[in-house]
Amino acid sequence: MAVLTDRPAPVARRADRGPRARLNRFLGYGVLIFFGLVFLYPFVIQLANSLKTEPDAAANPLSPLPDPLTLAGFERIFAGTAFPLWLGNSLLVTVLVTLGRVFLDSLAGYALARLRFRGRAGLFAAVIAVMAVPGVVLLIPKFLVLKQIGLYDSYAGLIVPLLADAAGVFIMKQFFESVPVSVEEAARIDGASVFRTFWSVVLPMARPALITLTILSFQGSWNEFPHSLVSVQDPDLFTLPRGLADLVSGSLGKGTQYPLKLGAALLATIPVAVLFVVFQRYFVRGANEGADKG
Amino acid sequence: MKTRILTRAAVAGVAAVALLGSAACGSGFDDSADDAKQSSGPANLQILIGSSGDAETKAVKDAAAAWAGSSGNSATVTPAQDLTQQLGQALAGGTPPDVFYVDAARFADYASVGALEPYGDKVSKPDDFYESLRTAFTYDGKLYCAPKDFSTLALQINTDLWTKAGLTDADVPTTWDQLTAVSQKIKAKGQVAIALGDTRDRIGAFMVQNGGWLMSKDGKQPTADTPENLQALQYVKSLLTNGYAKFPKQLDSGWSGEAFGKGKAVMTIEGNWIKGALQNDFPKTKYKVVPLPAGPKGPGTLSFTQCWGIAAKSKYKEQAIKFVEAMTAGEQQIGFAKAFGVMPSRQSVRDQYTSAFPADKPFIDGVEYAQGPVNAPKMDSVLRDLEAGLQGLATGDPKTLLTNFDKNAKAALGG
Amino acid sequence: MATDTLAAPGTAPAGPPRRRPGGIRSNENLAGWLFVAPVILILGLFMLLPILMALWVSLTGWNGQGSPFTGDVPFVGGDNYSRLFTEDGLARRDFMTAIRNNIYYVGIVVPVQTVLALGLALVVNNRLLKGKGFFRSAFYFPSVTSSVAISVVFLFLFANSGAVNRLLALLGLDGPEWFADGRGVLHLLLGAFGVDSPPAALTSGGPFGLTWWDWLSGPSVAMTSIICLVIWTTSGTFMLMYLAALQNVPVALDEAGMLDGASRWQRFRYVTLPLLKPTTFLVVTLGLIGSWQVFDQVYVMSQGDPAKTTLTPAYLSYRTAFRDFDYGGGAAISFVLFLIIIAFTLFQRRLMADRDGPRRGRWWRRRVPEGS
Repeated sequence: MAVLTDRPAPVARRADRGPRARLNRFLGYGVLIFFGLVFLYPFVIQLANSLKTEPDAAANPLSPLPDPLTLAGFERIFAGTAFPLWLGNSLLVTVLVTLGRVFLDSLAGYALARLRFRGRAGLFAAVIAVMAVPGVVLLIPKFLVLKQIGLYDSYAGLIVPLLADAAGVFIMKQFFESVPVSVEEAARIDGASVFRTFWSVVLPMARPALITLTILSFQGSWNEFPHSLVSVQDPDLFTLPRGLADLVSGSLGKGTQYPLKLGAALLATIPVAVLFVVFQRYFVRGANEGADKG
Repeated sequence: MKTRILTRAAVAGVAAVALLGSAACGSGFDDSADDAKQSSGPANLQILIGSSGDAETKAVKDAAAAWAGSSGNSATVTPAQDLTQQLGQALAGGTPPDVFYVDAARFADYASVGALEPYGDKVSKPDDFYESLRTAFTYDGKLYCAPKDFSTLALQINTDLWTKAGLTDADVPTTWDQLTAVSQKIKAKGQVAIALGDTRDRIGAFMVQNGGWLMSKDGKQPTADTPENLQALQYVKSLLTNGYAKFPKQLDSGWSGEAFGKGKAVMTIEGNWIKGALQNDFPKTKYKVVPLPAGPKGPGTLSFTQCWGIAAKSKYKEQAIKFVEAMTAGEQQIGFAKAFGVMPSRQSVRDQYTSAFPADKPFIDGVEYAQGPVNAPKMDSVLRDLEAGLQGLATGDPKTLLTNFDKNAKAALGG
Repeated sequence: MATDTLAAPGTAPAGPPRRRPGGIRSNENLAGWLFVAPVILILGLFMLLPILMALWVSLTGWNGQGSPFTGDVPFVGGDNYSRLFTEDGLARRDFMTAIRNNIYYVGIVVPVQTVLALGLALVVNNRLLKGKGFFRSAFYFPSVTSSVAISVVFLFLFANSGAVNRLLALLGLDGPEWFADGRGVLHLLLGAFGVDSPPAALTSGGPFGLTWWDWLSGPSVAMTSIICLVIWTTSGTFMLMYLAALQNVPVALDEAGMLDGASRWQRFRYVTLPLLKPTTFLVVTLGLIGSWQVFDQVYVMSQGDPAKTTLTPAYLSYRTAFRDFDYGGGAAISFVLFLIIIAFTLFQRRLMADRDGPRRGRWWRRRVPEGS
């Protein structure tokens, strides 16, 4: 997330003024605004059309103003689909997976960064290798394993395989290696156990990395689709992306119903959007503070 | 102290590994399809249906609840969004529902891998089912499951748009030439004449009308590459290239019925399920149903059917058969017909049905000249390849389509 | 996939921890293993073991009934693989069609998203503009949203009378019926030059069961809309990577260029771009790996239709296994896809390493973790 930081602006130079610079600035804003529209207007269309009637959405898809404004689409989401159930499942899966990943990945990351034990280098190489395994290749294999160990079509099957990820271990290992060794050595000399040192001394220092990992895990598991596709088939266990996908590629007679579908997709996007907005600010502020001190 | 905690944790960890390991071995190696332990007494039946809409879901749920109440069992009906996929995963995952819809087109796949319990003869009066339906669900000489109901294709005409295009009852097409002629008139008024599903299940009807079909009479040999089929596809291609017929996606619709209901096409070719769908989604659409226009070789349509499959792995086969018995009883079938517009699979209630639904005459008359679906195993990918070709029919070569089908089907059936 | 790697470029380079003799670390052997045990267990059980099981299944004709590990399951050896490459039949044609579609997909997505990401990063990095933070977030936001939810939105945007076609109409263009149009873009282009029917030389034969004419179709119109969607969602992520790299470009270098009287373009071309080479390498590699995995969008938007022109190997493997009950064939496709992705990664690394000359070893080591 460090990539989101601003570099402190150097002192303005002479070249920043004058007609040429003004033209450049004008062009720059033009490009920014054009792409800003390209990247954001689809969301505006999504919001607007979820509040339209179906004929209005079909007739004026570009218009940002619903005419008339109606909540019928959202009413149908809650009355006519299993949306609340999907939402509940998604929350459960996301919370458990995020907790699991943050805890287990940092445990392993710490061990790989700091603890000396036989086989460490080999394990780290294995983690790196696992990261290179493309996810979609695992669709059929994961299904086979879940079926074989009796976790298919259960919450456990939905959650347990996601509880650890190699990329998270890697992030935590990199971070722990950047923390000075002296602090934990002091704790260790005071007689704290390995786990206690990790838990009460090292982990609190890892706040930035932990927040990064939390966000990545939350976002990853909230949006996870292929895994839920192959780990469950019972509609009672559907998460939001799975439910949404079925709603869209749904059966005969469902029709297009765009306001409903766009509304459901919008609701599924909101949690991650909120997280994004909140933590974006957090990171920018934190970065600016650092810049001021430096 | 430290060491003790660590040792304890280590023991716990090892135990967890051992547990998972044993689970891995335990569940995997001894499940075979045949010897599912049977439980007597009150059953909790899981029923998976591929519903055509809310009306069907509700009707089946009500009927199941009534059966459960009177028989002392319980029954949970789940509508699947995508029955094939859900059922496929459930069967492979070893946790199939007890009772489920089986489409005739997929029936052979399930039967050939032993997923279905062949209970057909244990239902009362199996001979009462239409013979063509029984054939559709017979594999290796055994009737596997009881036909649920059936449907046929007919032509629907939006009467308001029809009049608006300056057409009268006398213009209702009964031959291909007339169909072309009215389409031309409709197009001249700036309307789309026909919303046509881009699948073999619609376009195939034209082959039947021209005396052709994809498979031989006994369903064992592919017979796509014939002059009859070629001529049929060329006719459909001309409808498409002239802009008379359009596929649902071209009309921003999920299926033809939706395009028809929205008034984007004056005619469509769909089955009797369209009644319920239009009533629910587009109650204002006024339309009438007529038989499909006959081709050079006479009238022709397609029939579709599903059966109540029972999983070979079900623990409650006894109770499941009783459930199917109740669902396929004549009275119940009439009830379903009233609820969501399917036609009963038992001949004994045919008259009762026709008197209750005189407007459905074109559909039920279709049974006389209808062609059932392809029901050989492993044909699904072959048929899908054909459909991919049909989607590109407007620009593609019909002859290539048909020869490819024969080639692929031979490979699939031979292997 | 891409977001997982976000933090990697920013993390500090790791120095090896100092080895210390003595009793404090005496129980680290046990503790170390205990700490990594849960992760090893999960990754082993759900990453490594599955691959081995699937490798076995790809050598069998398992149909999804019962367990694939009993004696009843027919062992077919390499049949599932030879059906994909050497036997003329439907399996090979489907697979090769999927490969063709994905080649065109990769060939457009990777260059376009790389150039777009670099362009956005350059604009957002411009010192003279205000409100950059907002736009940076705006460009990045699509990357964090659910692929399924975004696919729903794009289905609406690309509907026949949808937003995109309305925009085109404003420009006086008649938009296509996006998801119903299986015609290849190259074929359409040729058609515009009067080549309406394929030359006989191209239809009579070709490698792997497809004719040359089929191979040269270009992405279909339907595939183009998926390509737009993917470029739109991923460019933001790669923009952030370029941005991080641009912020590390020493200002002094740029100023030196200015003093030499180099034009803006020259400074970009000869100063900035070479410095960004490692990032470009990263972006291209990640793009290649990611775009061979396209699955969610196909599942939601088109399911391989129309006329198989949006079929991709990932989706085909899923469909073959879970809809046709041919788990062996599906697993075989997965493995071939796996090899393709790995091969592309290695090839790309080799190429860049050779060009980098003396730094070769370093890039190899550093890129491995980030290239996931």
